[in-house]
Amino acid sequence: MSLDSISIHVVPPGEPGLTGNAPPLLRELLEMVRRLLETGEPSAIDLSALPLTPADLDWLRDKLGTGEIGVTLQANGESTLNETACPGVWWVTHHNEQGAVTSQFIEVAFVPDLVKAHPQDVEIGSGYLELLVSDL
Amino acid sequence: MQGPLIDTLARRGVTRRTFLKYCATLASMMALPPTAGRAMAEAMAAARRPSVIWLPFQECTGCTESITRSHSPTIEGMIFDMISLDYQETLMAAAGHQAEEALHTAMKDNAGKYLLIVDGSIPLGQDGAYSCIGGRSNVDILKEAAAGAAAVIAVGSCASFGGIPKANPNPTGAVSVSDLVKDKPIVNIPGCPPIPVVMTGVLAHYLTFGSLPELDDKGRPKSFYGDTIHDRCYRRPFYDQGKFAKTFDDEGARQGWCLFELGCKGPVTHNACATVKWNGGTSWPVESGHGCLGCSEPDFWDGGSFYKALSAPADPLKFAAAAAVVGAGAGVAVSVANRVKKNTAKAMHETTTLADLEK
Repeated sequence: MSLDSISIHVVPPGEPGLTGNAPPLLRELLEMVRRLLETGEPSAIDLSALPLTPADLDWLRDKLGTGEIGVTLQANGESTLNETACPGVWWVTHHNEQGAVTSQFIEVAFVPDLVKAHPQDVEIGSGYLELLVSDL
Repeated sequence: MQGPLIDTLARRGVTRRTFLKYCATLASMMALPPTAGRAMAEAMAAARRPSVIWLPFQECTGCTESITRSHSPTIEGMIFDMISLDYQETLMAAAGHQAEEALHTAMKDNAGKYLLIVDGSIPLGQDGAYSCIGGRSNVDILKEAAAGAAAVIAVGSCASFGGIPKANPNPTGAVSVSDLVKDKPIVNIPGCPPIPVVMTGVLAHYLTFGSLPELDDKGRPKSFYGDTIHDRCYRRPFYDQGKFAKTFDDEGARQGWCLFELGCKGPVTHNACATVKWNGGTSWPVESGHGCLGCSEPDFWDGGSFYKALSAPADPLKFAAAAAVVGAGAGVAVSVANRVKKNTAKAMHETTTLADLEK
């Protein structure tokens, strides 16, 4: 028996719309950007911890716009780190292997931590290079 | 396989960035500040494996299943592998005297430092004879193992609150871990079974901060059990609008309306199902069309029928007044209807039948 023969149709719940929770985040971002400029201290907003509807997120995404850089990370599912039209403000989305969003952040940093290579990993890389060179 | 966690992860093909990403998500789930993910990754990557002793008592092994088969090889699973699990009857290769010896060696070598995980309740009836391992009663084993533990983690509703073995009339005299152990920090991770990531979250917290997470009045980590299912349910807007499914196959059910009137225990159940979901984030009971059973609350088995609406609406002060009136009105109506039904059933001394469930 195929699923089609069961006469149940799933109706997705209607778009809840804007809650007004997104605009204050812009002020918070402004503070965070100022702090980054003054002290160099990066910070982040955890979007999945806030009561934001999909419409709120769209509004925020739309306001922040799209910047020049987009980074894609393939690690246990895809992650995207996209700079917004405000340099230093990054929209970070982590997906799992099934493609579902596991967490979402707005990061304020010159470069997000995740993009930088860790010194210990660079060391491993240099070991590999040495191996290549010794084989020449 | 001793050594820092990150090396062990690397050997399994988990890169640092994968781990960082995982920690960011875990920190988010645990309601830690967003920058905590980085600190967590640093601390956990360098952490040594703590010795863990896992004692199974009156249980069904569902908790072990939940955690070890959490979906493909997840990082949760790997971290779980990475603790030095020195005794776990279901998973260990050793058996018989060899296994019991491993338990005692681990207890001696790591005295005062090991984490003790317990699943299952402990029977006290007939001097504990209802459940024995290696000829010793559960209560004896627990007291001995807890004495040298740094902390005790009670996994599942049975270990946390007594669970199904304790259900009326409790033939074995089952009690929870916290009924017996009074001098050690205890974390309760209830659920039947609990969500795997909650378990990993507590371990991650311990590895990162060297302490146990903040607990609520029932000993549960606040970060996962702080909200009710109802608070975070995607069907909540329908409750607020007074839109309820009346049967499991009516128009309301098809539209995905609130399952409150079908007996959903979401309003009084503290757990993370609504946000973390199950089976690798695929779905969870309410999303599949069935109300919450309240399995992470004490005595959920004796709370009346799973299909009878709660007698009081969820805290109506928490949301807008207009919606509250609708919700509360519906709640009271259902509660009155159910009380009548309950009294009739009591008077007739009936057990719950299929017809009851169908309302």
